[in-house]
Amino acid sequence: MEVGMARRKFAMQPEPQSRLLLTSVRGFVRSLVEDISNGRSPSIALERYRTYCSDPLGNCACSSDTPFAKDFISIDKHPQAAHRLAGLLRVLSIVQQLLQQNKHASKRDIFYMDPALFVDQAVVDHIISDICILLNCSRHHLNVVPVGKGLVMGWLRFKESGRTVSCIKNPNTDYPIPVCLEDVEDIVSVAQYILVVEKETVFQRLANDKFCDRNRCIVVTGRGYPDVPTRRFLRYLVEQLCLPVYCLVDSDPYGFDILTTYRFGSTQMAYDAKLMRVPEMRWLGVLPSDFEEFNLPDRCLLNLTPEG
Amino acid sequence: MEETQSDSDLIRSTLFYSDQRLCSADILSPAQARARIEVAVLNFLKTLSSPNPAVSDLHLINRRSENCGLRRGLLSDVSSVFLSHSFCRRSLMRANDAKAFVRVWKVMEMCFMILGEDKLVTQRELFYRLLSDSPQYFNSQEQVNSTVQDVVSLLRCTRHSLGLMASSRGTIIGRLILHDPGEESLDCTILGSAGHAISGDFNLLKNLAFQSDARYIIVVEKDAVFQRLSEDRLFNQLPSILITAKGYPDLATRFLLHRLSETFPSITIFALVDWNPAGLAILCTYKFGSISMGLESYRYACNVKWLGLREGDLHLIPESAFLEFKPRDHQISKSLLSSTFLPDSYKMELQTMVEAGRRAEIEALYCHGFDFLGKYIAGKIVQADYI
Repeated sequence: MEVGMARRKFAMQPEPQSRLLLTSVRGFVRSLVEDISNGRSPSIALERYRTYCSDPLGNCACSSDTPFAKDFISIDKHPQAAHRLAGLLRVLSIVQQLLQQNKHASKRDIFYMDPALFVDQAVVDHIISDICILLNCSRHHLNVVPVGKGLVMGWLRFKESGRTVSCIKNPNTDYPIPVCLEDVEDIVSVAQYILVVEKETVFQRLANDKFCDRNRCIVVTGRGYPDVPTRRFLRYLVEQLCLPVYCLVDSDPYGFDILTTYRFGSTQMAYDAKLMRVPEMRWLGVLPSDFEEFNLPDRCLLNLTPEG
Repeated sequence: MEETQSDSDLIRSTLFYSDQRLCSADILSPAQARARIEVAVLNFLKTLSSPNPAVSDLHLINRRSENCGLRRGLLSDVSSVFLSHSFCRRSLMRANDAKAFVRVWKVMEMCFMILGEDKLVTQRELFYRLLSDSPQYFNSQEQVNSTVQDVVSLLRCTRHSLGLMASSRGTIIGRLILHDPGEESLDCTILGSAGHAISGDFNLLKNLAFQSDARYIIVVEKDAVFQRLSEDRLFNQLPSILITAKGYPDLATRFLLHRLSETFPSITIFALVDWNPAGLAILCTYKFGSISMGLESYRYACNVKWLGLREGDLHLIPESAFLEFKPRDHQISKSLLSSTFLPDSYKMELQTMVEAGRRAEIEALYCHGFDFLGKYIAGKIVQADYI
């Protein structure tokens, strides 16, 4: 421990509940206040996680479950840390309100509560990730939930908050993927496999063509980059039903990136990856080798853009 | 278009003045729509193979503000924006128009094929199909959308008749039971806070039956606010239905809202939008329709009242939540101020917005607590504080 700098580190908590979290929040703020009133500069230690390995030889012992570095926010060392700390405390106070009133809010809602302080949505996103690492919990434990984006259809039935959602009754209609996985239970299915598609257009084409009438499967889409509820729901389906999972993405870098997000997790939320990744997922297509196999005409092939 | 003396006499003497000048898109079956496309092709070939062969121009209804008018309802208080009989041309002979000309024919060809397969596609899928079919003519979704509107103006039929499904962006929740013939009825009070997704299929929406004891419908601009109000179950505290199109309203959401307002004439419809020109533009689209889709949009205009955010509410918003006007805000406010349909009370509010050069979002009210929004809405309705 370095002289003149106090480090805040909380013990590992297996299943943080709202009350435990509220206690942690109060404890954290109390120790900050103690520091300031004793004339010490407050500082916080945050661990950094990674979902990829940068060792080219591949023989290493790194894992996404253990932190690979520590990030320190301390006011006397970095002047902009004061602003970062202010933002962190503001979000923490909002999260406290949410937990106390048992309400949910999105990251965007939080941004709007003080746009002058946060300036940009990305700042709020980083602060929330920092708080999750600090309190060793997942984002949904803070009652921060996104506006759901994912869709599911096919041979599936489950209960959401006690209400039965019977996708099998209308196998070609899309249903929104529940935002709070905690509300989902009783998954029942006789499907033979799960198909994940990148784009909403493809999903709608399958629905319009009544794909699930002829094929006993469950179709899921995240409509582009999948959000957290979609990834958690997919993981939950795989765990409960033990079905093979196939992924259909565009044959371009974005498609490949989306496939890796489903399969390995995102770098932004590396600390949560083990709850959301589906390593069993198989890459069905579109593979570059399919161009020849299916005789795709040349005009269907587009050039890679600079971004790609 | 110069009006002669006899023209203006005729106009003054007609009882249904605006209806005479209104240009409308017909709702057609797939066979009828295909027939119209065939007629367009045959006319083109006829001119091409005539003794004086020529490539005929395409005459499209002009979708600009100079060709639009405001139609006030005779028996109802609904006003709508309509397009009149002024034309613009697409010509192969003009250098920078040639590609647009070809695009119209390409889209007609693709729609002809889709209608023949008896399918419905979204505009997004149409874009992908056109991109792989003729990449040298199409390079963006906006281009495809505006070409589709060209085809609508040419053939005078609705977009849905061409086999194009509306985007299903809207959601609804609240004191409403939806009966889809052949399916089970859906009680919208027991849904999760995301609500029920509104279908993009007009045939389905047309056949829905409703049951409701709501007194109000609240149209919400943004999905996040909709979900906040759903989670708080506002529709149980205030007997109401909540509906959102998650931004600029799509035709399917407007169609459903229109059907609800016709089925339940005593329900009052309120809009909850941000304090910025875009929010007002969204309210006006629900209320009057839009010019860009003027041929079919007038059908779905509803008498929507502006509940909030308005000038009188600004004292509830903290200073830090106000943001500066962006160039886009100035653009939208200019176009709104110069439009024919904006009522005076709305104009005054917009002018206040522009003079201060500031805007605020509904979420700024959250600083008073997450449940403040529900109380704010109920208070305004009870005090009849809407225009």
